[in-house]
Amino acid sequence: MWEFRDKVSVAGVGYSKLSRRPAETLATLTSDAVKGALADAGLTLADLDGIATSPSMPRYGGLRGAMEGIDVVTPWHLCDQLHVNEQINWTGSTNGMVTQSFIEAAMAIASGVCKHAVVYRALHVPEGRYINFDSRYAAGTDQFVAPFGFSMPPAWAAVIMRRYYELYGYSREDFARFIADNRANTCLNPNGYWREKPMVPQDYLDARMIADPMSILDCDIPVDGACALLLTSTERARDLRQPPALLSGFAASTYPHPTGTVMTLETLWEGCEQVARRLWECSGLGPKDIDNAHLYDGFSIFVPLWLEGLGILERGDGDLIGAARQSLADPDWFLKLRLGRGDEIRRCTYTNYCEALDQRHRPVTCKLWDRQELDEPGAALTDGGRRRLLAPGWVHRKTGRQEDL
Amino acid sequence: MVEEADAETLRPLPYPDELTEGFWAGVRAHRLSIQRCKRCRYWNHVPTIACYNCASEDLAYEPVSGRGTLHSWTELIDSPGPGFRDMLPVIVGIIELEEQERLYLTTNLLNVETGRLKLGMPVEVTYEHVTPECVLPQFQPVT
Repeated sequence: MWEFRDKVSVAGVGYSKLSRRPAETLATLTSDAVKGALADAGLTLADLDGIATSPSMPRYGGLRGAMEGIDVVTPWHLCDQLHVNEQINWTGSTNGMVTQSFIEAAMAIASGVCKHAVVYRALHVPEGRYINFDSRYAAGTDQFVAPFGFSMPPAWAAVIMRRYYELYGYSREDFARFIADNRANTCLNPNGYWREKPMVPQDYLDARMIADPMSILDCDIPVDGACALLLTSTERARDLRQPPALLSGFAASTYPHPTGTVMTLETLWEGCEQVARRLWECSGLGPKDIDNAHLYDGFSIFVPLWLEGLGILERGDGDLIGAARQSLADPDWFLKLRLGRGDEIRRCTYTNYCEALDQRHRPVTCKLWDRQELDEPGAALTDGGRRRLLAPGWVHRKTGRQEDL
Repeated sequence: MVEEADAETLRPLPYPDELTEGFWAGVRAHRLSIQRCKRCRYWNHVPTIACYNCASEDLAYEPVSGRGTLHSWTELIDSPGPGFRDMLPVIVGIIELEEQERLYLTTNLLNVETGRLKLGMPVEVTYEHVTPECVLPQFQPVT
């Protein structure tokens, strides 16, 4: 187990505005997020002595700018901008992902080189199409993919999704609920870009295709903005404004990429499994301890693959992700399917009613049945007089017989 | 010399370098050649300065059968760049060459409808002349 388990904490979180084409520069948005994280922790700029990020611009093909404050914000630019050059003892600027910046900042806190480190991710999406390989020539490793049109991340994810579907007999219908559920969660997130745009599973099935079977709704939306986390020792964090989120462990992969193609289903699983082994070893935790997972969902198929690689689901069980709401709406849905009564399944309508109750720590019930047949013998009721736990018993429509469950 | 971008009419062309010229020279002569390690006999694609298996730098191009199986595929509906706009839909296939497990090659799948595609289906190389100087290796179902 990691020697510094639970000794470093996240004490504050800050977001800038997240939008498509903001008037503000990336430098301003980053500064907003960093100040927000400090304020959330009850700290001020004077307390900041460490900065880490992974400055990058996500664009595939076409020109990529490298202008400080516009396209990227490095730790040194942020120092200048915030006028904190003298007090910043430690800076980290990592390749790869911002995850590495976070890990380095945690090390910097644990080792004592700084006391309050901010880790941020700031992204700018330039004018024009996000994906646009408009060069006449493809050099380097691009020469083996771009001439065939394989120069866009949705297509890379699409071959993973296609293989997954073919191996386990899935189609997009099987994942529509998961996508709609994911959007329903976004609607509860005050920072979610799509928070005012709920969707239903049919919207997913009607979505514009990008690289079959990946549709536009399988892809995240590139936005301008920044998010910042404030790291400090758990000991110091206990005196700050928010309850600290303890860092119990971390892991990053060094699993080799396949060559000759960008990624494969098998190497993604194997890479996830390597991360999982390291994560469980470092944190002393295991898949059974996890009840809240924030998994990379830039492309929808990666969510089930992470769950499978981490050992939370068996390989190929990804279609279960979207099952929770539906099994609340109709606990008998598996039975009805098995009996060939699929048309009698009570389908979730994704109103977020159950989620809202849960958020308020009230008994979770389903709007579709919690006011029905309240006088049914043995029906459990909430203190508000609604049905709780179970829907009214399923009466077989043709025989009038209550199914024996 | 690299010409001015004429991307409106043409998809990106491979730009061979010291390491990859052997691959593209083979393709121009309608021969699929893959870089192979002289020490451990491992096939390496994409071309590398040191064997992916044993790190030897003693590598040379050797012809392969041109046969393989379909590992996965996607049908591009949205254009990855201006050069593909008039070609859509384009099918991209990930081919596992028969010479070695996990020896992948990314190409387009020609002469086939997506409805006929299956994981593991046998495919073979064919050659597409894109310009007088540029030939691309492509794959199609075994005839």
